[in-house]
Amino acid sequence: MLPFVLRRLASGVVLVFVISVIAYALLYLGGGDIARRILGQNATDDVVAQKAADLGLDQPLLTQYFDWLTSAFGGDLGRSWFTGQLVAVSVSSRLAVTLSIVIGATIIAAIVAVVLGVLAARRGGWIDNVVQFVSVIGFAIPGFLIALVLVLVFAINLGLFKATGYVPFASSPSGWITSVTLPVVALSIGAIATVAQQVRGSVLDALSRDYVRTLRSRGLSTNRVVYKHVLRNAGGPALAVLAVQFIGLLGAAVIVEQIFALPGLGQLAVQATGAGDIPVVMGVVIVSAIIVVIVNLLIDLAQAALNPKVRLS
Amino acid sequence: MLRWRTATAAVAITAALALSSCAADTGSTQGGGGTLTLGAIVAPTTFDPAGSEWGNRAPFYQAVYDTLLLATSEGEIEPFLAESFEYNDDNTVLTLTIRDDVTFTDGSKLDADVVKQNLERFQTGTSPDAGYFAGITSVEAPDATTVVITLAAPDPAMLNYLTRDPGLIASAEALADPDSLATDPVGSGPYVLDTAATVTGTSYTYTKNPDYWNPDLQHYDTLTINVLADATAGLNAIKAGEVNGIKLASNDNLAEVEGAGWTVNANELDFQGLLLLDRAGTMSEPLSDVRVRQAINYAFDREALLTALQSDHGTVTGQVFPESSPAFDPALDERYPYDPEKAKDLLAEAGYADGFTLSMPSSTVLGSTTYTLLSQQLADIGITAEYTDPGNNFIADLLAPKFPASFMALEQNPDWQLIQFMIAPNSVFNPFKYADPQVDEYLAQIQAGDEATQAEVAKQLNEYIVEQAWFAPFYRVQNSVPTDANTSVEMMPTNVYPAIYDFQPKG
Repeated sequence: MLPFVLRRLASGVVLVFVISVIAYALLYLGGGDIARRILGQNATDDVVAQKAADLGLDQPLLTQYFDWLTSAFGGDLGRSWFTGQLVAVSVSSRLAVTLSIVIGATIIAAIVAVVLGVLAARRGGWIDNVVQFVSVIGFAIPGFLIALVLVLVFAINLGLFKATGYVPFASSPSGWITSVTLPVVALSIGAIATVAQQVRGSVLDALSRDYVRTLRSRGLSTNRVVYKHVLRNAGGPALAVLAVQFIGLLGAAVIVEQIFALPGLGQLAVQATGAGDIPVVMGVVIVSAIIVVIVNLLIDLAQAALNPKVRLS
Repeated sequence: MLRWRTATAAVAITAALALSSCAADTGSTQGGGGTLTLGAIVAPTTFDPAGSEWGNRAPFYQAVYDTLLLATSEGEIEPFLAESFEYNDDNTVLTLTIRDDVTFTDGSKLDADVVKQNLERFQTGTSPDAGYFAGITSVEAPDATTVVITLAAPDPAMLNYLTRDPGLIASAEALADPDSLATDPVGSGPYVLDTAATVTGTSYTYTKNPDYWNPDLQHYDTLTINVLADATAGLNAIKAGEVNGIKLASNDNLAEVEGAGWTVNANELDFQGLLLLDRAGTMSEPLSDVRVRQAINYAFDREALLTALQSDHGTVTGQVFPESSPAFDPALDERYPYDPEKAKDLLAEAGYADGFTLSMPSSTVLGSTTYTLLSQQLADIGITAEYTDPGNNFIADLLAPKFPASFMALEQNPDWQLIQFMIAPNSVFNPFKYADPQVDEYLAQIQAGDEATQAEVAKQLNEYIVEQAWFAPFYRVQNSVPTDANTSVEMMPTNVYPAIYDFQPKG
C-alpha cells in the first residue's frame, strides 16, 4: 500500500509542476501590458514603466518564472498586483468558501444520488422512469439558471436565504447556512443527476452478476444482498464518478459564486485572470491542482479499501 | 453500516440547522440600526495612498482617510485637513495651513511633516494619478502646521487634485511599512477598516472612528462596502434589501430598481463618442483634414444612438466639456446635426469622394451593437470602419498609439484636469501628442489667468475644439446610484461615486 501511495504522490508533484509551467506560459501569451492594465487609462507612460519595473515585468519571462518558482517553493506565493494582499491569505480565506459549497454539494449529491439510484435499480417500473426523467432534466438545465430561479424564489420572494454574500461559519453558524444553502443546492442538482444514473447502472449491472444469483440461491434476502454485497461492488465506479463530479463542481462553483457574489476561489480566479493578476492566478491554479491530486489519491485509497482487487493493479 | 448512520445523522443535522436558521436569521443581515451598506463595482487595488485611485474606488479611501481639501456636492472646494489654503500672486506657490487637532487611528498626530511625506510619496508612487503631481518642484514644511507646495508653472487643477486621491493623508508610522499599509490602512478618517471582517476584493467592513475630529460627517456606526461587479448580483442585492445604496454597472434595469421602491440618484460624468486622435494624419492621412473630421461629426444620429445604446438614459452632446463647466456652451451641442449628405459633400471637398478606411479598436466590454451601429453610420457617408479587438490591451494599444481613432467613454473632469487629460499636447488621451498653436495659446492663457479669464478662455477653447472636430462626442451617459427608502444621498458633480459623508439616514 505504501509504495502505491508514494508513487501517486510523486506523480502528483510532477503534475503540479507541469501545470505551473503551462499556466505561467499561458498567462504571458494572453498577457500584454499588465502594468497599464493595473493602472488604467489615467496613468502616464512614465508611471506605467515604473510600475512594470516594480513588479519585475521588465525581466525576461524565464527569470520571472524562476523567481516565482523559487519563492513558491519557500512557501511565498507573493502579493496580488491588484489588491496588495498576500496570495496565501487571499487563497486560503477563499478556499473555505469554495470548499463549503463544493463539499456540501458533493455530500448532498452522494446521498441523494445513491438513494435515487438504488431505488430506481431495485424497484424499476414507474419509480425508475421518474428518476430517469428527473435526472435528464437536472442534467440538462444549466446550473446558473437553477441558481437564478433559486435566488428569485427563496431569497427575494420568500426571504429565507441570502441573495448575495457569505457569512463565515465562525461568526454565525445560522448565517453561514443561509448564505451557502442556495449555492449548494444549485451546484448539487447537476451532480445528483449524473451520479444517480451511474449508481443505477452499477447496481443493475451488479444485480445481474453470477455472484448475486449464487448469494440469492443460498437464501439471502434481497436487501441483504443489495446493501452488503451489491453496493460494495457498485460503490467503486460511483465513487469515481463522485470524484470527477467534485472536481467538476470546483469549476461550476465559478459561475455560482459569481451569481451569489460569494468570495470564493472561483470568483477570485475569474477576477484575477481577467485582470492579469499573475501571482493570484498562479496561487489559485497551484492550490486547485493540489486539491485535485489529493482528491484523486483519496478516491484511489477509498476504492482500494472497498475493493482489494484495485490494490493489486 | 457505520457509514450510513453517519450520513443519516449529517442529513438530520443539516436539516435542523437549515430550519432553525430560517426562523432566526431572516432580516437580521440587513442594514438599519446605524449600518450603511453600499455596493461598488470595483475593489481598491491598494489602501496605500501612494497607489490610490479615485472614481469608483473613492468610497473605500474616503472611509479611512481624510483629504487635504474637501469637494462638496455643490461643486465647491472647502477646507478639510488643511483649514486654509492660499496661492501667491502668480499661482505657483500654494500654502496650506494644516489642522492641529487631528489624530490618526494609531494615535499619532497630524502635522505638516506627515503631509509633506504623503505628498512626496504620491508624486513618486505608482498611483495611476501620480502624473497630477508632475509639475510640483518642491514640498516644504517650514513649521508644524504649514505646508508649502511649489509648482513649476500654475496648475489650475491642483486644488481639485487635493480633494481626491493625491490629497489622501496616512499616518507617518504606517508609511514606514507600505506592505502592511496596502491592506491595513491607517488614516484619520471617519471610519476604521475592520480587517478581520473584511474579505479583500469582495467585502469591506468599517467601524466608526471614536476619536474623529469631524463627527458631523459620521452618520453611521458601521459601514460595509460590498463589491458587486456582476450586474445581476447588484440587482439581486437591491431586491433582497442587502444594500442601502449601490453604484449600478449599467442602466439596463432602472425600471426594476424603481419598482423595488428605490430612488435613482443620477448625474452625468462620462461622454461616449469617437476620439479622432490622429489629427496630424500620421497614421490615417484623411483625418488631418478638418473637413473629414467635421464630416464624421455630421455622420452620427446622436439621438438614435442614445436610444439604441443607452435606452435614452443620458443627454446628447457635441462637446467634451461637462454641463457644470464654465466652458460649456449649449449651442455647441447643435453644431453638427445629423446630416449624412453634408458629410458626403465635405468628404468630397476634402478629396475623399470615394471614402476611405478607418481602423479602430473594438472591445467586447462595450458590446457588439455599438460597433455595428458605428460601422453603419460611417458607411452611409462612405467611410469603412475596420475593427481590431486588442482584448485586454485595449487601453494600452489605444495609447501606444496603434489606432488613429476609437470609440471610447472618457470622464469629463473639471476644466484644467480635463485639458490635462485629453487636450494638452502631453496629455494621456492625446497619444499622437498633437499640438495646435491656437490651442497652445488658449492653454497658456488659462494656466496663467485669474478665474474670470480661465472661464472665458475655456469657452473659446471649447468652441475651437468643436469647430476643429478633435472629437465626435455622441452623448453623456447617465450615472446611477440608487438608494433605498431609508437612505438619501447627494451626487458629486465631479465624481462617479458620491462622497460617503453624503449618504445619510432619511429622518
